[in-house]
Amino acid sequence: MKRILLFCSAGMSTSLLVTKMQNAAKAMEMDVSIDAFPEAEMASHLDDADVVLLGPQIRFALGRAKKLCSEKNIPVDVINSMDYGMMDGEKVLKTALKMMENQNREDHP
Amino acid sequence: MKKKENLLEEKIMPVADKIANNRYLIAIRDGFMLAMPLLIIGAISLLIEELPIPGYGDFMSGIFGKHWGDFFLVPYHASMAIMSIFVIIGISHSLTNHYKQDGLNTAVISLVSFFVLTPFVTNFTPEGSKAVYQVDSVIPMEWIGSKGLFVGMVSAILATEIMRFVSNKGWVIKMPEGVPPTVAKAFSALIPGTITIFSFGIIRLIFAYTPFGTIHNCIFNVLQLPLVSLGDSLGAVIIANFFIGLFWMFGIAGGDVVQSVMTPIWLALSADNLLAFGKGEALPHIITQQFNSIYLWLGGGGATLGLCLALLLVCKSQQCKRIGKLSILPGLFNINEPIIFGLPVVLNPILLIPFICTPLILAVITYCTMAAGLVPAPNGVIIPWTTPPIIGGFLVSGIRGAILQAVEIVISFLIYLPFIKAQDKKYCEQEKLYENNKE
Repeated sequence: MKRILLFCSAGMSTSLLVTKMQNAAKAMEMDVSIDAFPEAEMASHLDDADVVLLGPQIRFALGRAKKLCSEKNIPVDVINSMDYGMMDGEKVLKTALKMMENQNREDHP
Repeated sequence: MKKKENLLEEKIMPVADKIANNRYLIAIRDGFMLAMPLLIIGAISLLIEELPIPGYGDFMSGIFGKHWGDFFLVPYHASMAIMSIFVIIGISHSLTNHYKQDGLNTAVISLVSFFVLTPFVTNFTPEGSKAVYQVDSVIPMEWIGSKGLFVGMVSAILATEIMRFVSNKGWVIKMPEGVPPTVAKAFSALIPGTITIFSFGIIRLIFAYTPFGTIHNCIFNVLQLPLVSLGDSLGAVIIANFFIGLFWMFGIAGGDVVQSVMTPIWLALSADNLLAFGKGEALPHIITQQFNSIYLWLGGGGATLGLCLALLLVCKSQQCKRIGKLSILPGLFNINEPIIFGLPVVLNPILLIPFICTPLILAVITYCTMAAGLVPAPNGVIIPWTTPPIIGGFLVSGIRGAILQAVEIVISFLIYLPFIKAQDKKYCEQEKLYENNKE
């Protein structure tokens, strides 16, 4: 099962988006686990993650996140701010899936 | 306009980046995050003991006896009143993790280092006497609560740095192969730990020769007291909140960035008030953590709950209505990202003025009503920032606090109204244009 992790300052507003993404995943009949955590706890959650997304309000943390994630070959990016604002679960889910696909291609050329 | 925004963004992003990625500020933030649930539990138990309802105390003693309050006071003394200890463990643990070293070991050494600096004596005046006696063999509650916060933060960071320095130099006892790793680990902390603790012993000795006597006296009077009094002014609140608004305008979590600097000060002010509240004395400060989170950030940064209501009640465009529906429930819990990124507020020149100004106007109003005695200052009880308005106000200032919050929601609604109407009109025109093009 693929695991998508979302991070924002307290894991509060991203957890809103998580529910929307889970609904989108259900509609697409996909088996993924999606969770949200505070950005401060990032290091301790990365072990079984397949993709990491940051809320746009903490995009300044991207550098630190990249450092942590690159050690484990996990793709990481900031969520598009309009998708985030509209809480568009489907679009964000698709972005996450695409990021995983691209990563796989890099891992197995 | 676009060019100006880019220029500002280029200037503001590095600042947010520097503050938010500074390893010491991150460690301090994490330390307070570890302590936060304990502070909330401790503060709430004190609140239960002192519930702002007339006749409540007599009622409870009638049922449970004169000492009923102890049941709730003890948890307060065991958590909030010794907050420095958790903050030290949290800061040191976070900083050590950042350096990828053994966090728990270093956290314990940091705590010991702090205790090395803390005098194990306390002053005692028996009832009815004027003589002050010094009592030995106690850990003074005075210095492990909020008064010890700054020494605690300094000790945690310094001890962690010394531990790291010594370990990196390779000054550790190395065990021959074949020794169980756990045994080896226990020995490897010995030399760095000893050097760290003895270094703190030297610091203690140096301060014993100063007029202050202890580093606690020195840092509290020279650093903590002036910083905290500076934080306890309307001017400081306005500056801090101006920056929070400015950061949010660029879509950066402004509250987080600014609080990573202000939290120790605002929390120390809260703890002061809570101490007085527990003793039934007059509250010493108006500005506290809750002054900001309860009275200025109604619905989230920018006091957007009023804006949320305007979206739902007044606006006609689909965009505004959708965001209004999407954001009202999170807004009641002071979460407003849907408004900030969806409406959007970010880089929106129309909403710039009310978004930055509303919290500042609310700050002046709240400060004045409290200074005039119309509404009690926040009692220092630390409640989660997600506590819905009205309930939050009641918990920190009683029924008059709840009323003040209700009035503030109306005021923020009125401030946002002309601006959101202009925005709504723009969206309506755009939507009409889009519809026409489709046909």
